[in-house]
Amino acid sequence: MLTATRAHAPSSLQWISLITAAFLVLPTCYIIYVALTAAPTVWSRLWSTRIPELLWNTLSLAAGVALTTLLLGVSLAWITVRYEFPGRRVWEWALALPLAMPTYVLAYVYAHLLGMGGPVEQGWQTLLGPDARLLSPQSFVGVTLIMALDTFPFVYLLVRGALLNLNSSFEEVARVCGVSLWATLWRVTLPLIRPAIAAGLALVILYVISDFGAVSLLRYQTLTYAVYQQMTSRYDHTAASILSLLLVVMAIIFLVTERWFRQRSRFYQTSGRYRRATRHHAGPAGTALITGYVVLVFGAAFGIPAAMLIQWSIEAIAQGALDTRFLGFIWNSSFLSALAACGAVIIGLPLAYLASRRPSRLNLACLQAAYAGYALPGPVAALAVLVLFTHFVPVLYGTVAVLLVAYILHFLPVGLQSMEPALQQITPNVEEVARTLGCTTRRTLRRVTLPLIRNGFIAAWVLMFLQTMKELPATLLLRPVGFDTLAIRVWLEASEEYYQLAAPAALLIVILSLPALLLLVSKDWRGRDQEVVT
Amino acid sequence: MDLAAGQSPVLELRGISCAYEPNRPAVEQITLTVHQGEILCLLGPSGCGKTTILRAIAGFERITDGSISLSGRLVSSRDVMVPTEQRHIGMVFQEYALFPHLRVEKNIAFGLSHLSRPQQKAIVDDLLTLTGLRGLEHRYPHELSGGQQQRVALARALALRPVLLLLDEPFSNLDPDMASRMRQDLHALLRQTKTTAILVTHDHDEAFSMADRVAVLNRGRLEQFDTPEAIYHVPTTPFVADFVGQADFISGVVTNDVVTSEIGEFPNTQHLATGTSVVVMIRPDDIHIVPTKGADAHILARQFKGSENVYTIQLPSGQIVHSSESSLSIYQVGTAIALRVVATHTVLFPQPLESSGKKDPGHGNAPPP
Repeated sequence: MLTATRAHAPSSLQWISLITAAFLVLPTCYIIYVALTAAPTVWSRLWSTRIPELLWNTLSLAAGVALTTLLLGVSLAWITVRYEFPGRRVWEWALALPLAMPTYVLAYVYAHLLGMGGPVEQGWQTLLGPDARLLSPQSFVGVTLIMALDTFPFVYLLVRGALLNLNSSFEEVARVCGVSLWATLWRVTLPLIRPAIAAGLALVILYVISDFGAVSLLRYQTLTYAVYQQMTSRYDHTAASILSLLLVVMAIIFLVTERWFRQRSRFYQTSGRYRRATRHHAGPAGTALITGYVVLVFGAAFGIPAAMLIQWSIEAIAQGALDTRFLGFIWNSSFLSALAACGAVIIGLPLAYLASRRPSRLNLACLQAAYAGYALPGPVAALAVLVLFTHFVPVLYGTVAVLLVAYILHFLPVGLQSMEPALQQITPNVEEVARTLGCTTRRTLRRVTLPLIRNGFIAAWVLMFLQTMKELPATLLLRPVGFDTLAIRVWLEASEEYYQLAAPAALLIVILSLPALLLLVSKDWRGRDQEVVT
Repeated sequence: MDLAAGQSPVLELRGISCAYEPNRPAVEQITLTVHQGEILCLLGPSGCGKTTILRAIAGFERITDGSISLSGRLVSSRDVMVPTEQRHIGMVFQEYALFPHLRVEKNIAFGLSHLSRPQQKAIVDDLLTLTGLRGLEHRYPHELSGGQQQRVALARALALRPVLLLLDEPFSNLDPDMASRMRQDLHALLRQTKTTAILVTHDHDEAFSMADRVAVLNRGRLEQFDTPEAIYHVPTTPFVADFVGQADFISGVVTNDVVTSEIGEFPNTQHLATGTSVVVMIRPDDIHIVPTKGADAHILARQFKGSENVYTIQLPSGQIVHSSESSLSIYQVGTAIALRVVATHTVLFPQPLESSGKKDPGHGNAPPP
């Protein structure tokens, strides 16, 4: 319910959100400007050489990963919410663990495991003769699987949350109407959780499009990787901008489509009676199948890579890899990630609040502006921020501030994806009643709105912290001289195929991400449905 | 009202209008007063603007014309808009809007943060007893039944001792059986705490059983503002007559100082000139039927309502009227009957019938020009 009072006067919040949005689109606009003012010869050269291949590689990879994560994420969420099987409570949160594993870590572990002469291929050849070939981690299928194993928890967690919040009466009504179990799933349950699926897939696809770590280590040519190469090996910022423009256009088209679907199914939380669906026992064969499936996915996405990292780390530590330099990397990583996550939550709040509460064209546009940041791949965000800073505030060049701005620009959309649903579930009446009880707008925000959205915002903070911790290309390009983070060490050493040397830093990234992840999956975070669980 | 003697009214609406879109007012020219201790009902079909009025009083909607005063202080006009939190009103929403993250006691104490802990606890304790919620103070809203949630919302609104309590369809989310009991409880509670209240409803039974005075609204306009008895027995517009209970409208003509109609003669209460065409409103409880062989009216249908039987009767002209009989008087459909009409509660309207209704300046509190 939009109140007439509020529609009249633009508040200070409105101005803050407008200014924020303007700053967030500035880098994108700059890239577009550079690309559009480039000489036609540069365009035609790129069109005739690199672009078709890069476009195909990027799009097919995004589609492949999306499809795989859709299957993995939805099936796993369904299994863990609706079935009872041995160790269900453990698997429930274990399936979120791959979020702590950056793509480049997974990529480097699998590059070694499945690579030529790797342990798996040796075993395979012992069985089938010396000419037997396995799936190459550098192939399309290889890269797709590695990235899907890493990103499926986005879909899994969001769909799981939606399923837990689903009032089972909807399904029961359908069954009473004589609709079969499968038809109910198809016609009632899936449409109800579609916003969650859409939000999860949006995260996955944008992640794949802008991923740098895995494709750079597996040498799979995507647009993002090409942008980095143009910037570092050829110093060709114009060509990099043109390639970026393609990426930006792709991402915007996708974001608009996704938004459109989500607008059509905005679910306000209904008060009143609520019942959660009961869990089924699948029978001995079914239970074995379910457990096997869960163990397989978990093993591939986290179990085996983590075991490899531990083994390599032990070997590396025995050779003296832990020293004071290493402590410095740890501090740099945690400090940067926490700062970036806090900054992004503060900046994202007015945007998400206004878009959900006063969904005027202007406010929705401001929110879209914040999403534009994710359309910039890491290297491009780095380039744009760098050039803008050197132009307007050269004093800050080469400081951590530049890096933070790039992080916030790049990862704010991840946070907004969790902040928005949290805001959407508060009914305006709850805030209005606080006003009748003597609270000013500001006090209402502090005493009602903020506590209610707290869980969604914790989730947002955690997701942004995790992402920043793993961030590679922007850090590579913008870090102050000699300022190494854990992610940088892993990438540098893995590129040179020093598997053991890279392992301690990689393992630490995973371990440092764990407390944050625990917070995400803990009971309190589940609290989206805190108010309806009985 | 005696209570009001020598005091300014708690609430005064003077010719207020609200519009969500320019030129399409949601409510227009509403004038009402509410006195200390009074319970007022805003009654009308959905979309008549009653919730808009409530939200305007609460300060959630801006008014485009007129003024709203609370305890003699101007709070809303074209240029004045006192924020909700400074109006000292309480509100119970249709969906209760309990804070899902707070336990019952914290919900009730929400507005009391300016008081010390012991003071807060004392007030909360009183309200828990008053609303019969003792023992539930540590529960979360989702652990309560609908009726309990409503009582928490009520206790929360009463905690600050508001000058005026606003209730938006408070019974619409409750089971009908529960609702009638809750109505009595709420009425007793409001009286006991001497609370001045405005209640929005679309249910005339609810309005009649709760209110000291009822304001009937239709399409954003005030149709009639009077006591429940007057609204029922002396409706000033056909809309009100029809909305607050079953009514039949029979055409008649004024002849020799009486109104002649198909079912008999009625007094010409409005002293209309001979020859004027009028419509007579008559309620089922004013018409009684007597089975009579050879009579030209007959029973078309019978509806058993437990405490009464409502008969649908067709007159020779085809006109339909209704009659309410005791639950034991059972006649077959098709029985020929004679009508006996008790003419005391009939109301005359000049022809032609208009559902939008024209106000009769002789009755009710019509807005000043």
